[in-house]
Amino acid sequence: MTPAYAATPGGLLLVLAVMLPAAAVLAMLVLGPRHTRLVALIALALGLVVALATGIQLVRSQAALIYVLGNWQPPLGIALRADGLSVMMLAVTAVVMAATGLFARELFGLDLATADGRLATSFWILLMGLWSGLNLVFVSQDLFNLYVALELLTFAAVPLVCLDGRGETMAAALRYLMFALLGSMLYLLGAGLLYGAYGTLDIRLIASASQHGPAMPIALALMIPGLLAKAALFPLHLWLPPAHAGAPAAASAVLSALVIKAPVVLILRLVADIAPPGSAAVAGQVLAVLGAASILFCSVMALRQERLKLMIAYSTVAQIGYLFIVFPLAGVGDGTAPWGTIAWTGGALQLTSHALAKAAMFMAAGIVAEAVGHDRIRDLGGFGRVLPLTATTFGLAGLSLMGIPPSGGFIAKCLLLTAAAIGGHLWLALTILAGGLLAGGYVFRVMDRALATPAEPLLLRKPIPLRLELIPLVLAMLAVALGFLPLEPFGLLQIGRPDMALAVSP
Amino acid sequence: MSALALTSASLFGLCGAALVGIGLFCIVGHPDLLRRIVGFNILGAGIFLVFGAVARRGAAMGLGGDPVPQAMVITGIVVAFAATALAVALLRRLASLTGSASLDAAAPAPPPRSDA
Amino acid sequence: MSAAASATGLLLATALLAPLVLAAACLSRAVRARMPGLLWLAPMPALLAAGLLPAGTAIAFPVPFRMALALDQPGAILLGGAALLWSAAGAYAASYLRGKPGLTAFSVWWLLTLAGSLGVLIVADIAGFYLLFTLASLSAYGLVAHEQTDAARRAGLVYMVLALLGEAFLLFAFVMLAAGQPDPNPLIRDAVAALPGSPMRDGIVALLMLGFALKMGLIPLHVWLPLAHPAAPMPASAVLSGVLVKAGVIGLIRFLPFEAPLPAWGAVLATAGILTAFGGAALGVAQRRPKTILAYSTVSQMGLVAAILGAGLAAGDASAPGLAAYYGVHHTLVKGGLFLAVGVAFASGGSRRWPVLLLTGLLALSLAGLPLTSGALAKLAVKPMLGSGVLSIAVSLAAAGSTLLMLHFSAVMISETADNPPSSAPLGESLPWLAIAAASLLIPWWLYPTLSGGALASAWSLPSLWKLVWPMMLGVGVFVSAGRFAGLAGRVPEGDILVLAERQAPRFARLPAAIERLDGRLRLWPVAGLVLLGLVIWLGGGFLMAA
Repeated sequence: MTPAYAATPGGLLLVLAVMLPAAAVLAMLVLGPRHTRLVALIALALGLVVALATGIQLVRSQAALIYVLGNWQPPLGIALRADGLSVMMLAVTAVVMAATGLFARELFGLDLATADGRLATSFWILLMGLWSGLNLVFVSQDLFNLYVALELLTFAAVPLVCLDGRGETMAAALRYLMFALLGSMLYLLGAGLLYGAYGTLDIRLIASASQHGPAMPIALALMIPGLLAKAALFPLHLWLPPAHAGAPAAASAVLSALVIKAPVVLILRLVADIAPPGSAAVAGQVLAVLGAASILFCSVMALRQERLKLMIAYSTVAQIGYLFIVFPLAGVGDGTAPWGTIAWTGGALQLTSHALAKAAMFMAAGIVAEAVGHDRIRDLGGFGRVLPLTATTFGLAGLSLMGIPPSGGFIAKCLLLTAAAIGGHLWLALTILAGGLLAGGYVFRVMDRALATPAEPLLLRKPIPLRLELIPLVLAMLAVALGFLPLEPFGLLQIGRPDMALAVSP
Repeated sequence: MSALALTSASLFGLCGAALVGIGLFCIVGHPDLLRRIVGFNILGAGIFLVFGAVARRGAAMGLGGDPVPQAMVITGIVVAFAATALAVALLRRLASLTGSASLDAAAPAPPPRSDA
Repeated sequence: MSAAASATGLLLATALLAPLVLAAACLSRAVRARMPGLLWLAPMPALLAAGLLPAGTAIAFPVPFRMALALDQPGAILLGGAALLWSAAGAYAASYLRGKPGLTAFSVWWLLTLAGSLGVLIVADIAGFYLLFTLASLSAYGLVAHEQTDAARRAGLVYMVLALLGEAFLLFAFVMLAAGQPDPNPLIRDAVAALPGSPMRDGIVALLMLGFALKMGLIPLHVWLPLAHPAAPMPASAVLSGVLVKAGVIGLIRFLPFEAPLPAWGAVLATAGILTAFGGAALGVAQRRPKTILAYSTVSQMGLVAAILGAGLAAGDASAPGLAAYYGVHHTLVKGGLFLAVGVAFASGGSRRWPVLLLTGLLALSLAGLPLTSGALAKLAVKPMLGSGVLSIAVSLAAAGSTLLMLHFSAVMISETADNPPSSAPLGESLPWLAIAAASLLIPWWLYPTLSGGALASAWSLPSLWKLVWPMMLGVGVFVSAGRFAGLAGRVPEGDILVLAERQAPRFARLPAAIERLDGRLRLWPVAGLVLLGLVIWLGGGFLMAA
C-alpha cells in the first residue's frame, strides 16, 4: 500500500518555517537580553527567505509540499503539508512579521529607556513564539498538533497584549486568555471525539473516510464555535476590542493582522475539507449569517468609537466577517470544489489585503499616539499636516478596507460581490455594499481629521523619524498593489487542493 | 471482559461529560477569576477523561490501551498547566495593580457592566 | 498597430496620465511650490486629444493595469469642453488662491479630481470606469472641504456620504453587468450590448440610474450639490459644477443601451429629468447667494440632459448621446464661465463693474437659450429628437424657468456688487474668465453642423427663433409681474429637503445607540459564554438535522 503522505523535495522548508522562530527564542534565552533584537532581526530576514523559497518550490512543483515527521506515517505520525493557501499565509505572515520587526525596532529606539529594556526583550521573544505558532497552524495536518499550535499562539499573544503592564491591559489580556482557553477546550473535545470515531487525527485521512457517524457533526459543532471564540467573530468578540486596542502598536499589528487569521484558516479547512457536504452547507449558512452580522454590527460600532485604536479593532471584527460569508458564495457543501471559485479567491485576497492594511493602520495609529500622546479621534485635527506620510498610510490602508479601487480589498470585495450576484445571494451582496459604506464612514472620520486645519496646529510631543513612518506606508502600498491582480480565480490557491481523494486508511 | 471494558469506558465518558458540564458552568457563571481558572481546569479534566474513554475503546482491538489518546492527555495536561500558570500570574498582577480579582473593576469597556 | 495609431493612442493615455504625473511630482519640494502655477497645463494633453484625435482612437494599457481608453464622439465633445474649463479654472486658481494656506493639498486634490473627471470621459472598460469615477468623486472632497469653514465641512460630509452611496449603487450595477461576460473586466460597449437580454436587466438599469443621478444631482438626490458647489473656492466651484456632474452624464451615455429601446426606463428618466428641471429652477429662485443660485441652476440643467437621454432611451434613438454631450459641453463652458464671473464681479467695482456684469448676464441668459448663444444652439439641436409632444413643451417651459432663475441671478449679482470699492479683478482671473466666455460663445457654433445634422443657417430661421423666444418672454413676464422674489429669496434653506432630513437626525441616531448598548450586553462575560454554548447547540442541531 502506498503511504498517504510521501515527503516532497521542499518539505524540509516547512520544518524550517516552524523551527526557525523557535530556534530564535532559544538563542535569545541563551545569548541574553542584549542580543534579542539582533537575533530577532536575523530570524526575520531568514524567515522571509524561507517563505520565498517555499513559494518558489510550490509554484515550481505545482503540488503541495509535504514533510512527514520522523517518517512516521499518520495515523500514528504527524505530517506537515503546505498547499497554495498555506503558502500564501506563510508568505503574508513573513512579510507582516518582518515589517513589524523593523517597526518595533524603530519604535523602541525612540525611547532610550525601552530600547533594550524588559519590555523590548519580552516583545522580541513573544513575537518569535507567535510566529512559530502561526506557521505551525498553517502547515500542520494533525488536529491535535493544531491544538498545540493554537495554544502556543494564545500563550504568545496574551502577554503581548499586556506588555505595558497597566491594569487595564492586564484585564484585557485575562479576558482574552480565558475566552481563548474556553474555545480551545471545545476544540480539544471535538478533536478527541473525532479520534474516537476515526482512529486518526490527520485531516486528510478523516476527510477521506467514506462513512460518517454522529461523532462528526458533534465534533464539528464543538470545534467550529471554539475556533470562532479565538477568531473573535461577532457575537464572540468580547475580548478583541480592549485587547487589540490596549496592546502596544507593534503587537496590535500582528494580533489584528495575523493571529486571528489562524483560527479562521483552520475553520476554512474544517468546513471545506473535513465536513461532509450536508454539514458543510449548514455550517456555511450559519457562518455566513454570523459573518454578515459581524460586518454590519461591528462597522457601526467602529463608526461610534471615540478612540482611534478601538475603532481599528472594531473594524477588524467587521472585516473578519467577510471571510465567513465566503462559504455560501463559494458553494461549500454543494458538491463542487470551492477553491476554484472566484469567491474563494476573493476570500483569500481579503485575508491577505486585510492583513497588510490592518497592520499598516495599527502602526499608523501607533505613530499618531506616540507623536501626539493620545488617540482621541476628535482631538486629532490636522494630524495630516504634521504627519503627512502617516496620514497617507491611513488613507491607503483605508482604501483597501473600504474596497475602493485600486486596492486588494477592492478586488476581494468585487469578487465576492460578483459571486453573490451570480449565485443570487442578494442579502450577502447588500451586506458587502453596506459594509463598504460603513467602512467608508469610519475611514472618512479619521481622514477628515487628518485634513482639517484647526485653529491651533497640532503639536508633536516628539519628532517621528522618517524610517518609522515609511514601514507602515510600504505595507499599505502593498495592500494597494494587490489591486493589480486579475479579477479571476488564482491558480496558486488550487495547488495541492484537488487530491483529496485518498485511499481509506486502515 | 468486553462488557466490563464497555462499562468502564462508558463510566469514564459519563464522568468526563459531568466534569465538562461543571467546568463550563464554573467558567460561564462565576465572576470571580480564580474560580473561572479552577473551572477551566475541571473542564480540562473532564475532557481528558473523555480521552481516556476513547483510549479504552481503542483497547477493544486487543491492545492494552490506545497510546495516542494517552499521549494527547499528557500533552494536554502540560498545556493546561501552562495556561493555568499564565492565567494565575496575570491574575496576581491584576490583583496587585487594581486590588480586585475580577475583570469588572478594571474593565475599560462601556458603562453598563455587571458580570453575573 | 501602426506607428501613427500608437502615437494617437499614447496622446490619449497622456491625457489621463499627465495630471497624475503632476500630482506625483508634488512629492518634490521644489515642484510643490510651483504647482499652482502649473495647474493650467495639466489638462492640455486632453485638450489636444479632444481636438486632434479622430473618434475611434483607442489604447489598452499593458498588464497588470488592465485599463482601456477609447475616444468617441460624445466623449471627445465633453472632453474638449472639460479640458478647456479645467485649464482656465487652473489659471484662475493660481491667481485666486495665491498666498493662501493649504495650496499643496489643494493642488494635489485638484490634479487627482482632474485626472478622474477627464479619464472617465475616455475610459472604455468597466473596472477602469469605476476606478476613475471613484477617483474623481473622492478627490473632489478635498476641493469641497478645502476652506475648512463649518459650512464647508458640513458640505464635505454630506457630499462624501452621498458619493459613497452612489459608488455602492454603481459597484453593484457594474458587477452584475460584468457577471454575464466571459472577460472578468469587459469593455463597457460589450457589456452594455448584452444588457437588454440580461436576466438582471431592471436591477442593473435602476442601480445605474440611481448612481449616476446622484452624481448629476437629479431631484431628490441633488441635496449635496447646492451645499458642495458653493462651499468650494471659486475655481473649484466652476469645475465641480461645470465638469464633475458630467461624470454622471457620461455614465448614462456609456451604460444605457440606446440601440435597444427601454420605453419604461426611458420614461422614468425623462420624468425625473423634467421634474428636476422645474424643481431646480423653483428652488433656485428662493435662494439668495449667487453661487447657490448657480448650483440650483446646474441641478435644473442636468435635469434637461436627463430628459434628453430619457427620451433617447425610450425611443432607442442612438443620436441621444451625441446631443446630450452637446448640451453638456454648452453647460460646462457656460456654467464654468458663470462661476468664474461671480469671482471676477465680486472683485470689480466702480466703472469696471458694468462690463463684467453685462457679460455675466449674457452668459446667464445663454443658459436660458438666448438666440445666437450656445444655449440657443443646444436647445435647437435637441428639439427634433424631443418631437412635439408633452416632453417638447415641458422642455420649452423649463427654459422659461431657466430665464426666471437667471434673471434672479443677475438681479442678485447687481445688488451684491453694488457696494464694491472701485477696483478691477487681477488679470490672472479676468483673462481665464474671458477665455471661457469666448469659448462658450464660439465652440458650440463649430460643433453644431456635425451634431444637429442641420445647417447653421437653420438656426437663424424665424420659426427657430420663435421656439426660443416665447419661453424666454414667458420667463421675463413672470419675473417682471411677480417681482417680489425679494420676499421669497432665502425662504428655502440651501440643500432644501436635506435640512428636513437633518431635523430627523436624532431619530436616525437611535439605531446606532441601540447597537452600542447591545454590544455592551453581548460583551458581558456570562452573555458571551452562553452565546458560545448556544452556538454549539445551534450548529450541532443544524448538523444533525442535515445528516
